[in-house]
Amino acid sequence: MVEDKETASDTRGRLIRPYFLTRGRTRPSRTDFAMTSQVVATPQPEPVELGPEYQSILQKCAGPVSVAEISSHTHLPLGVLRVLLADLLDQGRIVVYESMWQRERPDTGTLSTILDRLRAL
Amino acid sequence: MSDIVPDSLKILVAGGFGAGKTTLVAALSEVESLHTEELMTNESVGVDSLDGVENKATTTVALDFGRLTLDERTVVYMFGTPGQPRFSFMWEELAEGALGAVVLADTRRLVDSFEVIDFFERRSVPFIVAVNCFDGYRSHDPADVRIALDLDSDLPVMLCDARERESVKEVMVELVSHVLQLELSGQ
Ligand SMILES: Nc1nc2c(ncn2[C@@H]2O[C@H](COP(=O)(O)OP(=O)(O)OP(=O)(O)O)[C@@H](O)[C@H]2O)c(=O)[nH]1
Ligand SMILES: [Mg+2]
Repeated sequence: MVEDKETASDTRGRLIRPYFLTRGRTRPSRTDFAMTSQVVATPQPEPVELGPEYQSILQKCAGPVSVAEISSHTHLPLGVLRVLLADLLDQGRIVVYESMWQRERPDTGTLSTILDRLRAL
Repeated sequence: MSDIVPDSLKILVAGGFGAGKTTLVAALSEVESLHTEELMTNESVGVDSLDGVENKATTTVALDFGRLTLDERTVVYMFGTPGQPRFSFMWEELAEGALGAVVLADTRRLVDSFEVIDFFERRSVPFIVAVNCFDGYRSHDPADVRIALDLDSDLPVMLCDARERESVKEVMVELVSHVLQLELSGQ
């Protein structure tokens, strides 16, 4: 098997930084956890005691999962989920990647590729 | 499980009550019934915290969406946007970073489409109009819809069957082609 060299940090999107590092705010804004942003749980050295909501979130994002899908799978409304995600981010338990296309349009080459992929579905 | 973090594209599917948004998204989605919701308070616009939510009248804005993996680095999310823009801050969030939108028109209630079209025009979200043919294709003419909705001649208007995967695929291809055309013509 060929070893996959890509890692979780290999993305073209923007990495969301923990709150205490960014603005000192305690509450997240909608734009920090866009519905399409991808969340990945960071491997923890040892099991930790966390509330059930936090546990269920972490269980859903062992690999990259969007904020919207986590909301769907945990049945947590988006606003609630964002507050919990902010806590997990501050504790270093998750990494959040915003899609590069959240802030800029795909270029024509990318759009052509997307079209080809759609047609091939 | 792959650890590559995909970049996501967001496509909105908008239209009046019962226009077929949920049906269309489900027809193309690779996963069944994804669903999210947001609590909306009286003072919801701009409120991001949960503080004091219990003291305010709340309504729930439900949102169903679908996912389409194009390749290991690219995922498309299709969001069925509920209701009318003026009632929901969700629309603002959804419009932000959207690749484009499909305005799903129901010829029995074309008037529902006006506010939606106006919303996308003001925010420069590219869109196309798809007429959902509830009762067969023959009873609908895209040209009539174009005139009724006062749409530019270069704005795609097409017929679709929201229940048919192939038809919905054509709708998405048409939308992305339109976005590409706009980009190529420098708009
Ligand atoms: N015959 C026919 N029925 C359809 C078609 N599209 C949707 N329907 C039916 O119309 C009804 C409404 O469709 P939905 O997909 O729920 O519409 P919606 O826009 O999501 O509705 P709301 O979320 O309630 O605004 C459902 O019972 C569908 O099965 C179509 O192309 N042809
Ligand atoms: Mg619906």
